Amino acid sequence: MKDLKHLFYFENLLQEANNELVQKAKEDGKLVLGYTCYHVPEVLLNVGNCVSARLRAPRTGSLDIATYYMSPFLCGYSKALLERGIEGGYNFLDALMASETCSEMNRTYEHFEVLKLVPNEKFFVSFMDVPFKVLPHTVKHYAKQARIKILDRLSEVYGVDTSDEALIKAVEEHNEVCRLMKEIGEYRKEDNPRITGYEYHILSLITYCCPKYLILDKLRETAEELKTRKPDDKKQFRAKIVVVGSEMDDPDFTKLIEESGALVVADRYCFGTIPGREEIKLNKDEDILQQICLHYMKTSECPRYMAQDKVLQRRKTVENLVKEYNAEGVLYEQIKFCEYWGYERALASHEMTEEYGVPSASVDRQYTASSSGQLRTRVQAFVESLEIKRIAKEREAKQNG
Amino acid sequence: MADNSKKPKSNFGKLFKKGEGLGDLFYDNYNLEIHREWRGFKDTFYDYYRWLVTWKDMIVMVLKAPISTVKGIWKYRWMSSYLTIPAFIDRHISGLKGPQLRMAHLHYNMIVKGGCDIIHMSFVADEKINPKNKYSKKIVLLDELIPHEVMAGFPNLIAMNTQTMPIFLASMVDQLITPPYLEEIEAYGVPADVCPLPSAEAGVAVADDYPKMGICMINCNMPCDGSIMTTSFQDRRFKLPSYTYSVPLRYNEEDVQEYAAEEVKQMIEFIEEQTGEKFDWDAYFKAMHTYNQQLDYELQKWDVNKTPYPQMTGAAFWLYRLFSYHISGGYDNRFLKVDKKVNKIMMKAYEKKTPCSKEMRHRAIVWSCPANYYTNFAAWLENCWGINVVMDMETMISYLKFNETDKEQAYRDLALTYERTTMRKHTKGGYRNVVDELWRIVEEYNADTVIMYDQISCKGMDGLNGIFDDQARERNINFIWVKQDLMDPRTISRRDLREQVNKYMTTVLQEEPVDATLVDFEDDLAW
Repeated sequence: MKDLKHLFYFENLLQEANNELVQKAKEDGKLVLGYTCYHVPEVLLNVGNCVSARLRAPRTGSLDIATYYMSPFLCGYSKALLERGIEGGYNFLDALMASETCSEMNRTYEHFEVLKLVPNEKFFVSFMDVPFKVLPHTVKHYAKQARIKILDRLSEVYGVDTSDEALIKAVEEHNEVCRLMKEIGEYRKEDNPRITGYEYHILSLITYCCPKYLILDKLRETAEELKTRKPDDKKQFRAKIVVVGSEMDDPDFTKLIEESGALVVADRYCFGTIPGREEIKLNKDEDILQQICLHYMKTSECPRYMAQDKVLQRRKTVENLVKEYNAEGVLYEQIKFCEYWGYERALASHEMTEEYGVPSASVDRQYTASSSGQLRTRVQAFVESLEIKRIAKEREAKQNG
Repeated sequence: MADNSKKPKSNFGKLFKKGEGLGDLFYDNYNLEIHREWRGFKDTFYDYYRWLVTWKDMIVMVLKAPISTVKGIWKYRWMSSYLTIPAFIDRHISGLKGPQLRMAHLHYNMIVKGGCDIIHMSFVADEKINPKNKYSKKIVLLDELIPHEVMAGFPNLIAMNTQTMPIFLASMVDQLITPPYLEEIEAYGVPADVCPLPSAEAGVAVADDYPKMGICMINCNMPCDGSIMTTSFQDRRFKLPSYTYSVPLRYNEEDVQEYAAEEVKQMIEFIEEQTGEKFDWDAYFKAMHTYNQQLDYELQKWDVNKTPYPQMTGAAFWLYRLFSYHISGGYDNRFLKVDKKVNKIMMKAYEKKTPCSKEMRHRAIVWSCPANYYTNFAAWLENCWGINVVMDMETMISYLKFNETDKEQAYRDLALTYERTTMRKHTKGGYRNVVDELWRIVEEYNADTVIMYDQISCKGMDGLNGIFDDQARERNINFIWVKQDLMDPRTISRRDLREQVNKYMTTVLQEEPVDATLVDFEDDLAW
C-alpha cells in the first residue's frame, strides 16, 4: 500500500511528549494538562483554554532513578514517567490530573508532588476518587469528584472557563475527533483492510498526545485519503486479531505483531480507541457534567470495575469485537507488574477460549516491547494456531458438504 | 541472604542439653520445641495449663460436629494447618514471662476460640459436606476485609469472612500452606509477580477449596488492586448474588464521605433484600456500645506503650487487634471480657514498671504489612536483639468510635471505620497516609528504630521505597528494611528476614545479640 501522507509526520510527533504541537499550543496561550488514565475524563481537560496530553515516555532508556524511588517491581510505564519527570521531560505541564485508580500510577503522580518535579509555581496534581461500579449514586460521586478535582481547581488556579457552554464546546471538538477515528476505523472491518493496525495505532496516539485543534486538519486529510486508498492485492497478513489489555502507547508493539503475521483490527487497550473514541451524546435535560461522567463510566472497559455486570460487559465487548471486525482470535496483553491486567488476562483469556469459543493467547510485556524476540515467537505461534484452526474448520466444512 | 544449603543436623543430643538460649530449644529445620520452655516454676506451669486449654478448645470443636469436622479435615488442604495451632502459639509466646505471658495467652486463646467457632460453622454449613443443612442460608459471606460491625444489625444471620480461614489465617499458622495454592493460580495464568495474598485467595477458588455456603455475598475493593481482581475468581466459584461494596480510596478527604455512607446504606439494603431480615437498630447500637468499650481498652494499651514502660509488645499486640477488629463486630462479648482481664494485668504491670522483655534496647515501629508466614517475627526481634515493637501499622487500623444512637451517623461511622481497615494505610489514600503517618508515630512513641517491611510484591509500598529512604536519612533513625513476600516463604524465607536484621545490627549498630542462639537457625520446614 502507498504510505499515508502524514504518517511520517505523525510518527515524528510521537518521538517526544513535548512535541511541536504541544509547544505550539503553549505558544498559543493554552494550558497543557497531563493525564494517563481513562478514568480522568479527557474531554474535561480540553475545556476553555486547556488542552490534554496523555503522557508517554517515548524513547525510554535507563530507569535507574525511578527504580530507586519505586523498586524494580513496578510497571515500566509508571517508572518511565517518573524517570522522564525527574529528567525534566514534563516541565511543560501546567497541571497533572490524576486518579487513584491504580496504585502504581498513583505513586508516580505523588512523586511529582513530593519531589516537586515541575518547576512551575502554579503547577498542581489533583487526585480523583473513582468508584468501582456504575449506579446512580456512584455516577453522582464521580461527577462531584470531576467538578471538585478538575473543573474547580482549573477555575481557581488558572481562571479557566468551566461553564456548561465550555463543556459542550469541548465535547463537540472531542466528537469531531471521534467521528474521524470511527470513519477511519470502519475500514478495519474490511476483508483486506486498507489501513494497518500500526497506522491506526499511530493515529490513535496522536489524538491522545497532541492538542486536538492542531491535528484535526491532518486527520481530516487522512480520512479523505483513505477513501480512495487501495490495499495490496495480496493480503499482507495471515490472521486478523483483536488486541485487548493494559496500557499500550508503543506503536512498535503493534508493528511487532504485524511483522509476525497478524493484523490488528481492533484495539481494546488503554490508549486505544475502544473505548476512547466514542462520541459523547448530550441531551438538554440532564446535568452536562453528569452526562459526560456517565459516558466514561459506561464505556470504560477497565478491569478495575469489579461488579459482575461490568465483568460480563468486558467479555461481551471482546466477543462482539471479534465478530464485528471479522477477527479470528484475541491477544491479551499485559504490561509486566500490572496487578489488574495480571488477573484479568488470565481469567479473561481462559473464559474467552473455554466459554466463548474465541481462541486467545495471553502475553506480558515490558513498557517498550519492540525488540522482544520472545514476544515475536509467542505471536507467531498464535498466528499459526489460528491458521491451523481455520484449515481444520475449512476441512470440516468440506467434509460436511 | 542467608545460606539455606546447610544440611539438617541431628537433634538427638539436644534432648539432654540444658541449652544456652532459646535457640537451643528447637529441632533444627522444623522449629519444633524439644521440650517446653522453662520460664520459672509458676510461669512454666501456667504456660502448660494454657497449652492444655488450647487442646481442650480444639477437641471441643471436633466433638461439636465430629463427622463434619473429620470430613472437613480430609476435604480441605488448609484445614490440616489448624491442627498445628498449639505450635503456633508456642512460637509467639517464646521468651515471655509474668504478665506478658499471661496477656499473650489470654489473647491467643480468644483467637483460638473464635477460630474454632468459624471452622465449626464452615463445616456444618458447608453444602459440599452437608448438602441440606439449616445454616447455609443464614450465612452472609463477607470479604475478609469487611469487619463484622454491619452484621451486628442482623442478629439472626451469621457473618462469615470468605477467605479468613481457608487462607488468610491458615497462612499465619502454617507457612507451608500457601505455596500449593500459589502454584495452582500461577498454572492458571496469573503472573507470579502479583501480591501473593489475593493470588493465593484466587488459587483457593480455582482449587475449589472454599467451603460452599451462604445466601449472598459482599465483595469489596479493599485493600488493594489485587484484592479487587480476585473477586471475579470467587464470584465464579460461589455463584451467589453479590454486592460490590466499593469503599472510597481518597478516604481522608471529606468530599468522599457522602458516597461512602451511601455505599454502606445500600449494602444493608442488599442484605435485607436477599435474606428477608430487617436491620435491627437496637441490636446494632448495643453492639457498638460494646465495640466502643473494647476500643477504650485497646487505646489504653497504646497509651502505655508510649511510656518508657511498654507492656504489650510483640506479635500478640497486632494479631489480637487484627482478629478482634474483624471478627468481634461488637456483638461477641467474649472479646470484651478478655480485654478487661488483659487490661487489668497490663495496668498492674505498668504501675510496677515491669520490663516487657529480658532486655529493652530499642523501641521500634513496625511499618507496612507483616509477612503472614512469619507473624512471630516481632517475638524474635525482642528475644534476639532486644527490639521491642511498641506500635505497628496493622494495629493502627481504625480507632474511631461509633455513635450509639443516631441512625444517619451510623452509616457514616461504619463507612469511616471500614475505610480504615487492615492494610488500607499503605495501599490507598495517598502517601501522606503512610509516609507522614509513620514519622508522626515514631515521634509519638519515641521510637529509635523502624522495622520497615519491604513486601516486594506490594505495589502501593514499592512505589514509595525511595521516598521512605530519603526521609529516613533526614531523620537519622535506625531504618531497617526487611524484604519479605507476604505469603510466599519460598521467595524470601524466615531465615532471610532474620538475616537482614542481623546484618544491620552487627554492621551498622555493631551490637551483640541478647540471645546469640537465635541469631541464625534454619526453619524452612517449620509450620
